Amino acid sequence: MSGQTPVDPVALRDEVRAKYQEVAVDPHGEFHFHTGRPLAKRLGYDDTVVSALPDAAIESFAGVGNPFSLQSLNAGERVVDIGSGGGFDVFIAAQQVGPEGQVVGIDMTEEMLDKSRRTAADMELSHVEFRDGLIEDMPVEDGWADVVISNGVINLCADKALVFDEISRVLKPGGRLQFADIANGAPVPESAVSDIDLWTA
Amino acid sequence: MEKAGFVNVQIGRPVDTFGGAGGESNARLFEVFGYAFLAYKPE
Repeated sequence: MSGQTPVDPVALRDEVRAKYQEVAVDPHGEFHFHTGRPLAKRLGYDDTVVSALPDAAIESFAGVGNPFSLQSLNAGERVVDIGSGGGFDVFIAAQQVGPEGQVVGIDMTEEMLDKSRRTAADMELSHVEFRDGLIEDMPVEDGWADVVISNGVINLCADKALVFDEISRVLKPGGRLQFADIANGAPVPESAVSDIDLWTA
Repeated sequence: MEKAGFVNVQIGRPVDTFGGAGGESNARLFEVFGYAFLAYKPE
């Protein structure tokens, strides 16, 4: 995961947005990845925590790992979730930081934002907020966050270096980045890397 | 990550993210797994 890839960033972004619109409105549809509670179980999330969440909080979850597996969050921390989708990791984070903390989810897909905002309201979470934005240009002030989390999103960005620079901008000095993402052990041919359809298929 | 200045980078164990899903064949072909990452912005 390094540097800029040979695809059009705007076209890739449109493709990703279209795919996750589907996951938001039809979470039980057919996708090339797992979703929802079965996925959370596969990825090692705490069953007790997950089972307490309403279906709307988890059914559109489409992560690739567990960003809390190497380090839990601490009470009172300020957290940004980049590419927050239906809000599953935000709701996990909200429980870990408690009401003294704050969690901001950022997503570019309107359907995901609508869903996560509704769920947060239903769960009466006053320390959670979802903002419309791109992870390459986050609507978060410099040095605001103690922690940035993410799950299966950075791999979908054309310019990873730009994303990591932006994450660094919103983190305070000494802050941490804990995220989950995919990595390949075997080389992917240039023709496949350049095929934008394969990024989300 | 390190180019952006992050330090103390840790990587968790691989997770078979796509096993049994529609994308499993591509994942197997390129040995794609999910990983957790942890890194720090220097003080």
